[in-house]
Amino acid sequence: MMKLEAVIQPSRFESVKDALREIGVEGMTVTEVRGHGRQKGHTEVYRGREYTVDLLPKIKLEMVLPENLVNRVVDTILKSAKTGKIGDGKIFLSRVDEAIRIRNEERGENAL
Amino acid sequence: MTTAARPGWNAGVPPSKNMQESPTPLSVLGPQAEAERQKIRQSFELGTSARETLNALCELADHDVRQIFDDVLRVQNREAAGLCLIALGGYGRRMLFPYSDLDILFLFGSDKTEQEFRPLISEFSRTLWDLGFRVSSAGRTLEECKRIEEDNAEFHLALLDRRLLAGDSTLFEKLDEKVLPGSEKQARPFLLAQLHKLTRDRLTRYGNTIFHLEPNVKESPGGMRDYQATIWLRQLAEEKKGIGNITAAEEEMCSSATDFLSATRCFLHYNNGRNDNTLTYELQEAAAERALGIGDGVARTPSDWMRQYFRHARTLNRQLLRYLEQKAPVPLTLRQRLMNAARTSKIEAGDGKYFQVRDGLLEVVDLSALSDRAITYSLFAECARTGTPLSREAERSIGYVLIHPELPPKNTEMPWETLREILGSDYPGLALRPMQRLGLLMEVLPEFGLIDSLVVRDFYHRYTVDEHTLRTIEHLQELADSPDERGAHFVQLWKTAERRDLLILALLLHDVGKGMPVENHVTGSLAALDSAAKRLKLSPEEKTEIQALIEHHLDMSATVQRRDIFDPATVAGFAESVTNQERLQRLCLLTYADIHAVNPEALTPWKAEMLWQLFVATSNYFSRTLDRDRLHAHDEVSLLGRIKAFAGAGSTQEVERFLEGFPRRYLAVHSPEEIAAHFGLFRKLSEEPAQTQVAATRHGFALTVLTPDRPALFSTISGVLAGWGMNINKADAFANSAGIILDTFYFADLHRTLELNPGEITRFRKSLEDVLNGKGALETLLKGRVSATRGRSPKVAVETRINFDDSSSAHCTLLEIVTQDRPGLLHEMGSSLARLGCNIEVALIDTEGHKAIDVFYLTAQGKKLTAQKQELLREVLQGTLS
Repeated sequence: MMKLEAVIQPSRFESVKDALREIGVEGMTVTEVRGHGRQKGHTEVYRGREYTVDLLPKIKLEMVLPENLVNRVVDTILKSAKTGKIGDGKIFLSRVDEAIRIRNEERGENAL
Repeated sequence: MTTAARPGWNAGVPPSKNMQESPTPLSVLGPQAEAERQKIRQSFELGTSARETLNALCELADHDVRQIFDDVLRVQNREAAGLCLIALGGYGRRMLFPYSDLDILFLFGSDKTEQEFRPLISEFSRTLWDLGFRVSSAGRTLEECKRIEEDNAEFHLALLDRRLLAGDSTLFEKLDEKVLPGSEKQARPFLLAQLHKLTRDRLTRYGNTIFHLEPNVKESPGGMRDYQATIWLRQLAEEKKGIGNITAAEEEMCSSATDFLSATRCFLHYNNGRNDNTLTYELQEAAAERALGIGDGVARTPSDWMRQYFRHARTLNRQLLRYLEQKAPVPLTLRQRLMNAARTSKIEAGDGKYFQVRDGLLEVVDLSALSDRAITYSLFAECARTGTPLSREAERSIGYVLIHPELPPKNTEMPWETLREILGSDYPGLALRPMQRLGLLMEVLPEFGLIDSLVVRDFYHRYTVDEHTLRTIEHLQELADSPDERGAHFVQLWKTAERRDLLILALLLHDVGKGMPVENHVTGSLAALDSAAKRLKLSPEEKTEIQALIEHHLDMSATVQRRDIFDPATVAGFAESVTNQERLQRLCLLTYADIHAVNPEALTPWKAEMLWQLFVATSNYFSRTLDRDRLHAHDEVSLLGRIKAFAGAGSTQEVERFLEGFPRRYLAVHSPEEIAAHFGLFRKLSEEPAQTQVAATRHGFALTVLTPDRPALFSTISGVLAGWGMNINKADAFANSAGIILDTFYFADLHRTLELNPGEITRFRKSLEDVLNGKGALETLLKGRVSATRGRSPKVAVETRINFDDSSSAHCTLLEIVTQDRPGLLHEMGSSLARLGCNIEVALIDTEGHKAIDVFYLTAQGKKLTAQKQELLREVLQGTLS
């Protein structure tokens, strides 16, 4: 099993969610986050006050996937989250040793 | 349920010689109790009332408790002297729900008896547990009951519902007749204060509203705890026989509400198989199907049944709140006393004849006046204006008058002017809440009735549609005080928003379509606006503004969540749909409130920040693109007709000539009546080349000047205003294609010269016209005034910022200045611009406290300013402003 974490533009979230649903992925954890990578923030002035937006709003998706689905999900996110501009986000993959469904204590991929 | 043998009782322990008969074994008692419970449940499901069901459950528990207690005594060969069992709380009141705990107090005569009875108590409790009863027990000696446990008010409150179950009756009598009356009397202030605190905390935990989509019928406001707390408040207030001056109709309503909620709670326990009191969507359907608590067996829709639920919950909640308000045991803090004094002084400025402020609440003085609805409405207007809530007693009096036909009402129709006053005040929610509870809001705005107590199932919303709507308004009014991190950005928007009445009316109607059989609720809400606008006789402009707000009420939220708000194209597209700055401000506030009122967690700091970013970007877009969008009067057929009609003179071609080329923003900041008045001045230009008009406004005066363009015009006008000691708060300057300048200055009359001497207005206008026509000298006017105001140090220091922007406009250079406001500032800046040969094409002048925020669209010899000129201007301005 692999854990996938994707940090994407908030504006692409609906498209990513729809695209994932189309390939049968419905379960995910979604968090509103702020941060920046190479895309630095910017400064906006309103009525003489300067607002520095150095941490940009992003959406973080987290899901644990069976190995055979990982590449497909990654491709789907790449296609649906990409705008080609700086700030499109990143995908991180890591191994997961075990998953347990609390309701019935199923384990492994069955618990996903 | 287990039927295991009880060690030390029916297994291994020899029977006592005093025993007349063997105790009934658990293997028999258990199934008997279970069979009895099933019988009670079946009877309830066949229609037996909740009252009878609760009583039967209580009888069953009493029977088993007594039998087991007797059995344990016999097995252990004891007499009950020195020990008694007392039912407390709901059980004590004989309101035992199917899966509720049995609250039992073991009362001991002394410490010694407590020690002796300890094994017996533990055996007794275990046996009851094995029989399927959940026992929540406490043990106290008689001596201990004399003391008040300050960290356990709940216990003392539960003790108010005491009832002897079994054991030493003499001991119980001592407690009931000798010990507790004295200690309860002494502890009454403490208990009342604790009860208030516990109740307020509980109500706050549930958002102080009965209107939850899936309410908890025990704990939520309007639930059974409200009923219980009311009873305790009555008991502590020594009114065991009935609430003072409560009417028979109110008693009847409370009784029927208690029956309905009891039936609902029984139903939930049976269906959930445990003490779970959440009225979920699924169980709402099931309850509606069997017309639970209604008794006619006619199935209802879940929405209709929930309306019944909310009606009863409102009765219990209203009664509780009335008692909480009446019996406030805690002395007011100094801050509260000062607030109350401030409110009292505010109200005295209004109509003190019919109402007054007492303990920070509005009370009705002359009840007979309430049949005149105009007076009742003025009471709500006072609430909204002063921020003083209506007392529950005043609300009750209005309610009484409303339902009694022997008091025929006068002036029932609320005119738009009165409603507008309420909606546009600082605290509209304080008026709209009681108006809704009394049914008056639906009289004034029948469209609101479509969402009364309406449950719309939704994963995110926590409240009924009407509750959500009223919360949106309350979230806005809270911005005036000290909002949390999420609201900080929006405070200034709320404080400076013009025509808040339109925003609040839009909020009242924005979700009304959810109560209509339409596919998209926005369509329904717009239809509701049509009927409301007609009835309230809104002007076409007012209706258009509200219509736009309702139509676009989801757009800002959708843009924030689904578009890249840092992309200039997104901002430009959004700005195009919003059309102007004033609407943007209202739409932003509406969106803030709408998200906030979905549930307490819906507006995250993340979302609030995104919303603010979109507002700032769009607002800046508007102020930087002002000269792009200009009027082509020929295309504005309907506007031309309206201006002509208001003006009452002049041809369409003349109106066209006047309007042609003004920035479109001119239409957003002036009403058709004002534009018609400007047109009237335009027609008189041939008689006098400078036309002026002065009118009183809400915050001071407005000066309009219409004249052909000339050098230093803007600085000259602002100089005359400074010379007269007027402080300019806001101004705009527009030019049409023919080079006619229309400047409007909104100013505060600091020395009340014009306010106290109306004749001075004519002299002021003459002085201005003389200066403009070269007959008077501005310098003379300014000399004394400016020197008088120099040298005063500002209370708040504002850093000067000067910014040039060449990219936003095709023909002009934008100059944005933020600096410390002071008298004569605009004249000084305007003079510097004029000296360097800069022509002001458009100007937007604003102030925020001590800060002046100005935007000028400048040209020099018809072109943008060169880089050298910009640098020179920056230097000059920095010198002037420092």
